[in-house]
Amino acid sequence: MASLTSRALRRRVYSAVGWVLCTFAFALVAFPLFDILVLVFRRGASAISPGLFTQVTNGISGGLLNAIEGTLVLSGGSLLFAVPIGVIAGIYLSEYGHGMFGKVVRFLCDVLTGVPSIVLGYFAYVTMVVELGWQFSALAGAITLAIMIVPYIARFSELELSQIPYSLREAGYALGMKERTVIARILFPIAWPGILTGILLALAISVGETAPLIYTAGWSNYMWNGHLTKEPIGYLTYVIWSFINQPFASAHALAFAAAFLVVFTVLLINVGARLLVKRRHYYE
Amino acid sequence: MKKHSRNLLSKSAALSLSMVIGLVAWAGSANPAQAADQVTLLETGSTLLYPLFNLWVPDYTRANPGVRITTQGTGSGTGIAQAVSGVAQIGASDAYMSDQQMKQNPDIMNIPLAISAQTVNYNIPGLNRVHLRLNGPVLAGIYSGAIQYWDNAKIKALNEHLKLPHKKIIPVHRTDGSGDTFIFSQYLSFSTPSWNDSTGYGTTISWPAVQGGIGALGNPGMVQASQTNLYSIAYIGVSFHAQIESAGLGTAVLENRAGRFVLPTPRTVTAAAHELLSKTPTDERLSLIFAPGAESYPIINYEYAIVSKRQASPEVAAAMRKFMLWAIDLKGGNSAHYLNEVRFIPLPASVSELSRKQIAQIQ
Amino acid sequence: MRVRPIRIFVILVASLIPITLAAIFIFLTLYSWPAIQFNGVHFLFGRIWDLGNLYRNPVMVHGTSVPLGANYGILVFIVGTLATSFIALLLSLPISLLVAMFLAEGVQEQFRPALSLVVELLASVPSVVYGLWGYAVLIPFVEHFLGPALASVAGFIPFFSGPVSSGYGLLTASLVLAIMTVPIITSTVYSGLIRVPREIKEATFALGATRFEVVRKVMLPSVRKNVIGAVILGLGRALGETMAVLMVSGGALNYLPGTIYSPITTMAAFIVSQLDSALQDPTGMAVHSLAEIALVLLMIAVLVNIVARALTGGQGHVAYG
Repeated sequence: MASLTSRALRRRVYSAVGWVLCTFAFALVAFPLFDILVLVFRRGASAISPGLFTQVTNGISGGLLNAIEGTLVLSGGSLLFAVPIGVIAGIYLSEYGHGMFGKVVRFLCDVLTGVPSIVLGYFAYVTMVVELGWQFSALAGAITLAIMIVPYIARFSELELSQIPYSLREAGYALGMKERTVIARILFPIAWPGILTGILLALAISVGETAPLIYTAGWSNYMWNGHLTKEPIGYLTYVIWSFINQPFASAHALAFAAAFLVVFTVLLINVGARLLVKRRHYYE
Repeated sequence: MKKHSRNLLSKSAALSLSMVIGLVAWAGSANPAQAADQVTLLETGSTLLYPLFNLWVPDYTRANPGVRITTQGTGSGTGIAQAVSGVAQIGASDAYMSDQQMKQNPDIMNIPLAISAQTVNYNIPGLNRVHLRLNGPVLAGIYSGAIQYWDNAKIKALNEHLKLPHKKIIPVHRTDGSGDTFIFSQYLSFSTPSWNDSTGYGTTISWPAVQGGIGALGNPGMVQASQTNLYSIAYIGVSFHAQIESAGLGTAVLENRAGRFVLPTPRTVTAAAHELLSKTPTDERLSLIFAPGAESYPIINYEYAIVSKRQASPEVAAAMRKFMLWAIDLKGGNSAHYLNEVRFIPLPASVSELSRKQIAQIQ
Repeated sequence: MRVRPIRIFVILVASLIPITLAAIFIFLTLYSWPAIQFNGVHFLFGRIWDLGNLYRNPVMVHGTSVPLGANYGILVFIVGTLATSFIALLLSLPISLLVAMFLAEGVQEQFRPALSLVVELLASVPSVVYGLWGYAVLIPFVEHFLGPALASVAGFIPFFSGPVSSGYGLLTASLVLAIMTVPIITSTVYSGLIRVPREIKEATFALGATRFEVVRKVMLPSVRKNVIGAVILGLGRALGETMAVLMVSGGALNYLPGTIYSPITTMAAFIVSQLDSALQDPTGMAVHSLAEIALVLLMIAVLVNIVARALTGGQGHVAYG
């Protein structure tokens, strides 16, 4: 075997260094995650017990049942609004959005991610809570969260769909399919795993929000009674934010337990969704 | 084989989804829309009063099952605003409403529920177990940047027997709007005319730019900031005494209006409250800062419930009156059992009486 | 061409997004109008933010009722916002690209779901918890280790020269924001990398490239649109982040940052921390001014997006071939 030229050697060394850098970057990124999980677990451990899941928050201690239910309702509700709108907007942007209107929609979508959550919250407070008379309500909270996460879902959907080669669409048309059939039967099943990733990312962001919900969902020490309006609802991030600021150790533990639950819930949803949907490489 | 496992997966997904929906529906139905005689009250506002409300509410609602009370710690301004707009029934505030605000909202009452205090803490290696003597003008100098080093002549003059280091002072203030800032800046304003003219007081003030000064979030943030920064100074609510101790911070003795240096003890706080009893007007809007009297601690204040005279229904009004009367009762909310945990002191009898009169006006 | 119902439906739904943004913009403009009139251009360049004396009676200035001594200037916050977002992206972009490369090609396929889960979990941490971790862990780290190290290495540049004072400041806030934007950029780029057609990879290998060169020289450039889209989304997140920044930024008021260790305040964090006090202003001018800050932030987001698109030749959008 001929010996390597110096240039080939140099390239090999650069490549090896490159992979080392990549690994190092990953470690750099993974470290804060584990550190945060350890921190949250350590400080919240004293509050973790079965009671956490069966009792409601009661003053400075108690359980988190009302907050857990509230987070599920609010984030689930926000997905109900945001997923259809976001995915359809993504379809629009990738299939039809090459003209002026498409550019405008895409642009404004990106700008929307930069609106601080507190501004959305105050906007919703003035319009929905006060003007429309909904008071603190699950509906106001869910809509605000939906506005926050729609751009992420739309952009992810667009990116996913746009990566499918045009030839597949052409094949569909050649077979006589209508546009909506092409979208639903060809593009969607292929893009779905990637779109799901976007939805999960958006869900993760929505579950972690506090500021907008304080002004729209309010807070409740009790379980949700099913009313969409005129009834405040609890959520885990409120516990984190408010209880951390209290002088009682039991409140702090509860706050960290809530933080742990938030991360854990998203983990569960992620893992569950992965099990359900296998990524398909359409070239293989 | 693949199809079989896919089917299994989607079946289990559908099953778990329906289980979750069932769970939520069951949880919702287990708490039906409130019974005809059940009232829900929303309290929101001051983060200083929030811990106390959280001690009160579980016991009170256990003894009075006909009422549900939800508490929130959002800030005095939010408490006032939401009590005014009717979104919340009880707005908690460390600050009484201004004349202009009262003019705009004649139906709103400021009802003191308890009296709280504030400490000035510092982190100086070697001196944290000693009580440093400080006064309003010196603090104003520190927070305005006029006094930069711990061994400044003015501080030395108050603490002649102490060896002060030649290190820069790091003043810590609150970034969020806060009742603690309100009462601290009132102390500075009432004791130091130059501060009053330049900066004044409020839940948020335009802090003068000081090299090295830090803004912290919330009382725990203040404790954390002082703890991690040597030679810092901060103002912290008295309900955080446990955190201050475990952080090993020093507590200052402050000069009161009579020129004496006092620590915040129940005796000095009560003394200050008593000095101003006669000055408390019927609408109970009064600052307790820098009270006269030899024993008075200078930084104390009434913790207010901001409520509207007109409530949505007679049931709500009745529930509110009952709760608030319990709250200011020495055998109820104002008992040592609750107040000691947050180091507040109960309302003196005459103030309690004024509060009672205001509560009676809730219809 | 015959108008198809599917197109109309899709267009209508998609236009909910611009409609929502327009509604927010109109709301902010109407709500902040009194402040816009009172503050004028001085708002953008003024360094002092003073709510005035809320306990004295308001005074009339130029025909509007404002608290005595009220003076609203947000230069400090504009600088804080731009500085943190810029530095955060500067830090997170290369790291995100490296991580995406690592996930897409650096590990065997069976490990990918687990490892990419790690990145996505980072997105699920609530911003409040980032703030808590920031002030419990990151601030002492910056104060005692990273700050002094940076100052000694790069200290000849005035911006990086010490003293480090406390750990609260621009550096820590940027670090926290960087960590928060990594998952967004990584996910988007990773999504694109694994979709690169096998033929292209095989062809590059056939030319004698090493694995790393395949990724760096061929795969990454082919997902350029993903990268740009990701950066823009990440930038949006950085501009709008409130809680985490609020807890570690040091709350600067009335002065501009001098070094990377100086405390700063961002516009979004400032709105959160001030809203409560602003509600106590009986004239309402304080809340109107906060709404004006939000409006300015919105316009900065628009401007930044325009610049990003111009710099990348409009490739943020997708044209498949």
